[in-house]
Amino acid sequence: MSNDILVITEHMDGKFSDVSFEMVGKAKELASALGGQAVAVVVGGGVSSNVFASDSTIHIDDAALSNFNPEAYGKVIEALVKEKSPKVVMFGWTVTGMDVAAWLSARTGAPLAAYAKDVRVEGGSLVVSSQAYGGKLMAEVAPEGDMAIVACLAGSFPVEAGQGSTAGTTMASPVDAGSLKVKFVEAIKPAGGDVDITAQAKLVSIGRGIGGKENVELAEELAKALGATVSASRPVVDAGWLPRTRQVGKSGLKVKPKLYLMLGISGAPEHLEGMKSAELIIAVNTDKKAPIFNVAHYGATADLFEVAEAMLELL
Amino acid sequence: MLTTIEKIIFIVLAITAAGFTFHGFKTIIDSIRKGRPAPELKNIPASLLNAGVKVLFQQTIFKARKVLSAIHMGLFFGLITYAIVNLMDVLEGLVPGFDLVYGGKHIPNAPTGLVNAFNLIADVMSMFLLIAITVFLVRRFIVKDKALTYRDNVLLNPKVKAGGQARDSLTVGVFVIMHVVAHVLSQAYRLTEGADPFMPFASFLNSIFGVSETGVHVAWWVSIGWVMFIVPYLSRSKHTHFFMSPINLGLAKQNPRGQLDTPAKVDPGAKFLHDLSWKRVLDSYACVQCNRCQDVCPANFYGRPLSPSALEVNKRYLLKEATFGSHPDRLLVPLTESVISPEAVWSCTTCYACVRVCPVGNEPMADIVDIRRRMLIDGYEIDSGVQNALQSLATNGNWMSKGKRLRGRWAKEMEFPVKNATEEPVEHLWFVGDTASFDERVIPNTKMVARLFNQGGLDFGIMYQNESNSGNDVRRVGEEGLFEQLVEQNMAAFGKAQFKQIVTTDPHSFNTLKNEYPQFGGTFEVKHYTVTLLKLIEEGKLTIKNKLSNYKVTFHDPCYLGRYNGGFTAPRKLLELLGVEFHEMPRNCENSFCCGAGGGQIWMGKVAPGERPAENRIKEALTTFGEGSNAKTQLFIVTCPKDMIMYSDAVKTTGNEGKIEVRDIIQLVAEAVGIEEPIHAPVAA
Amino acid sequence: MNIVVAIKHIPSIADDLPVKGNNVDFDSVDFVLNEWDEHSIEQAVLIKESVGGTVTVIGVDLIGELDNALHLALAKGADKVVKITADDPAADSHMQAKWLSEAIKGMGANMVFAGVQASNDLDGQIGPMIAAYLDMPYIGGVSSVEANGDSATVNKEFAGGAGAKYAVSMPFVAGVQSAPKPPRYAPVSKVRQMAQSATVEKVAPSGDADVRERPLRILKMAPPVVTGHAEMIEGSSKEVAAKIVELLKSKGLA
Repeated sequence: MSNDILVITEHMDGKFSDVSFEMVGKAKELASALGGQAVAVVVGGGVSSNVFASDSTIHIDDAALSNFNPEAYGKVIEALVKEKSPKVVMFGWTVTGMDVAAWLSARTGAPLAAYAKDVRVEGGSLVVSSQAYGGKLMAEVAPEGDMAIVACLAGSFPVEAGQGSTAGTTMASPVDAGSLKVKFVEAIKPAGGDVDITAQAKLVSIGRGIGGKENVELAEELAKALGATVSASRPVVDAGWLPRTRQVGKSGLKVKPKLYLMLGISGAPEHLEGMKSAELIIAVNTDKKAPIFNVAHYGATADLFEVAEAMLELL
Repeated sequence: MLTTIEKIIFIVLAITAAGFTFHGFKTIIDSIRKGRPAPELKNIPASLLNAGVKVLFQQTIFKARKVLSAIHMGLFFGLITYAIVNLMDVLEGLVPGFDLVYGGKHIPNAPTGLVNAFNLIADVMSMFLLIAITVFLVRRFIVKDKALTYRDNVLLNPKVKAGGQARDSLTVGVFVIMHVVAHVLSQAYRLTEGADPFMPFASFLNSIFGVSETGVHVAWWVSIGWVMFIVPYLSRSKHTHFFMSPINLGLAKQNPRGQLDTPAKVDPGAKFLHDLSWKRVLDSYACVQCNRCQDVCPANFYGRPLSPSALEVNKRYLLKEATFGSHPDRLLVPLTESVISPEAVWSCTTCYACVRVCPVGNEPMADIVDIRRRMLIDGYEIDSGVQNALQSLATNGNWMSKGKRLRGRWAKEMEFPVKNATEEPVEHLWFVGDTASFDERVIPNTKMVARLFNQGGLDFGIMYQNESNSGNDVRRVGEEGLFEQLVEQNMAAFGKAQFKQIVTTDPHSFNTLKNEYPQFGGTFEVKHYTVTLLKLIEEGKLTIKNKLSNYKVTFHDPCYLGRYNGGFTAPRKLLELLGVEFHEMPRNCENSFCCGAGGGQIWMGKVAPGERPAENRIKEALTTFGEGSNAKTQLFIVTCPKDMIMYSDAVKTTGNEGKIEVRDIIQLVAEAVGIEEPIHAPVAA
Repeated sequence: MNIVVAIKHIPSIADDLPVKGNNVDFDSVDFVLNEWDEHSIEQAVLIKESVGGTVTVIGVDLIGELDNALHLALAKGADKVVKITADDPAADSHMQAKWLSEAIKGMGANMVFAGVQASNDLDGQIGPMIAAYLDMPYIGGVSSVEANGDSATVNKEFAGGAGAKYAVSMPFVAGVQSAPKPPRYAPVSKVRQMAQSATVEKVAPSGDADVRERPLRILKMAPPVVTGHAEMIEGSSKEVAAKIVELLKSKGLA
């Protein structure tokens, strides 16, 4: 039993994602309140782990773990948790963290608080503010017991607080790669040739409200007139109206453009995760109660087609 | 007149022709009988008689193309006359001494006056016939009237594509000309005693060709011999129309226009031709492809691959190939491959214009709904927008993916309480409908209706979350099961409520509540809000304080209020009372032009290119107003929430903002009554 | 191929969600099938259609209204449906996953599918938990599954079009993000036919003793405090467009 906090960091192509730093920063704050240490955990090879402001870093440096493998990662983390008996294990509530956090919770019996937007210590116990029901409600939850697992929504805490450098201990993987039932075969790269929406200064982003594939053209025209690129929320991409490379949000890309003009996006939390740090957010939606209006800087309750067409005339 | 040998030849020929004709019609009747049951018809003799009268006076064709219809009338009377003429010709041939020239003076005791009258009519009709048939042939083959052709994207039977119909027309046209000319000649050659004043045309020919015994024989054979050939031919051509159209008209739909046939329990809808009801198999034999339906079809106008007439001709060719030809397997080709393309099936707006205009009582629209029904059951991949709408309707009871409980949100924002009809008795149960309940662009109008009802002291309530979509368009999309589910949900809600009558904002809901809910035991008095408002004004419960003479308005009849249910007068009366300057568009009332949203079109995720029906309609309105002074505000008045959306959009896409504004009639009534409320600018503003 | 699809019946977020005590007021919300479950059912049926097998759909009946969702699954091509009669609308993911695992245990599943997430996964998703309870591997974010013999090729999505292909030995649990094709539409008449003719197997909930001991305790639930609100641009669409363009120009963005 320790009062340590293990932060399961995430990396891809040799780079750590922002949520890793966010969690390390938060973990430091929690660790000082609980009287433990904030420990950054790096699983996999091919990445330099000396980038966190954590109290210590554990790097399970194994080339076999370079590519994300939910089974292997789960087993490695489970073994580590058994060895370290931390008070809190933090995951990102991301496409990789989601594969492991709930599994670990069921394996260990430790409660999991998912969709965490805030974590704090109140009277010696952990209290988590979590988003529930697609952002319609917020829940205050208490993961009680010897150990708690918290899965954090990306963008909930500042990135800077977690950045720094701590030389870490390197550990070998306790998992025999040959015994795994899930085997990584190959990476699927995004369809080549498409623009990188994360590198664009201006995005015109469309949602379910666009109605149909034919109407994407209007957004393309508007984007062209603005010198912008078209991006979209998940439903538009799932419907096949735009390629995956244009998807903004949790299962898409995180963008930070100077302008994010949203047409017909109501603002599900998963989408907000990918765009809320844009410098100027303007949202046009027919539903005056759409959650996006709580996040956007400017909003209008109007028909997106009418606004887009009128804008085209003025540009 | 005829020699014995000629008589024998004639009798043999006549028997053979009768045999082929009998076989032809028997084949047709057999194939009609293979269709599924149709809704039961009441008092068939009376309907047939009624149809006979209509046919005699050619009433049904005059709904469109007045001039051509008059010529058709000439053709019709000509052919009727010729049925008797042919009989007389046969008698002249077979009965020695039976000769009608000169008043039949060679026949003992002949009623000379009558014979002369007959001769005159026959002679004049001969000329009419020749003129009429020439006009039709010139129209088709020389002027090449586009109305008789199909768009390239319309699915056509290969034989039709190769000109089968044109050949049909030419065959029958040439027959009529030769037949008539030969008949008149056969009379002309008999005029041994000079001109017969009662036969001016024959006399004229006689003055040129003179008298000839051989000529009489030859002409007689050309005239009557042709008949031996053409009558069996007719049963195998589009000219079954001659016989089948009066019958079809007599057996036409008796149920209300707004009531679709209930689908079969097993394999509902239509995949193959004989999955259609027998009545609609008969339709194809009555159709002569005049294409009046195509002229009024909004989908066809929009460039979509739909032509109701092509549907009928394809049906007949399929039947012909299977029953007269050697391809019985053709009837096992799905309708969506042989008769109408899937895209055409899904472009129908169910506006009923094709059925309304059809002179012979055909219902191509009903076929389309049946085909949709089966496509849905068979898991055909439907438009994603339609699928989303249906899924939401099944889950939420509305097509807009809104929670049930949000249906009454607008009412809770009102400055006075709106009763919940499922909790306390009301006189008027207001069935609001999806668009009026949920669409932010239409809600201001919905609130205005509530204010006017309230001001007029109407005891009304809504059903809040207990109301579900009425299912009108769900049924027309072909999702009968979902329609039934929605009906059950609404019937359960009505069961909880106490009310005297239903008032609706949405003509689509109005239609199904009025015409189709009775099929499920829901017999209610249903009114459209225009009627309710008119009554409030006429009874003095709402007073018009301001006359709106500064407005120049035209009115669009929504399909489901107008053409389907005859609700033409209340809105016009209202406009008159409001004191606006009213202009009627050329296509009005029964002949109103669909906005393009019905039958599930408003749910479609994909929008086809081309001038949309609504855009065309806005142009029609502007043309109606003319170029005159623009001192008055020009308004396009609607009485349907869907129209509000469709036309506001069309005003913009046609670049006519500032020239014409779309308003719901409720906005004008409110202004005239002087209800002070921040009238939120409508969509068009 | 024996595929089991574990589904979740959840409060509909199409409505506003009222709160009672420290949780959703379950009596005044509608329950609907989790939207990702439609994809996992579709994926299962697609596999069945290509290689044969049976699809069993199983869910926890929280309020006695699960039958509808199960009949829908049958109409879409499932062969068998099972409901766990819990009658506890507040049962969390851990409880449901435990009950589901106990019921799935004896089914001899080659693959178990679950929706990758649900909007009420406050304590995590059922998919990974079922995997843990059944000692099977789990892979989430799945966009396609192809069965080949006793293993499957599974595509997992990361972000922005990137993803990876995995070979997974059966049995395993997959959290389905999206099926290769949009979920099919089931005509209501078919659903109703199923309602009349099909039997829904009932299973009593069991095996939840240890998860009950350590629940994720909910202290409070409330609509989010809105910290900011967009400055709303009023007026007609034209006016809105003009103001947006003006705004962009003033910031040098247009």
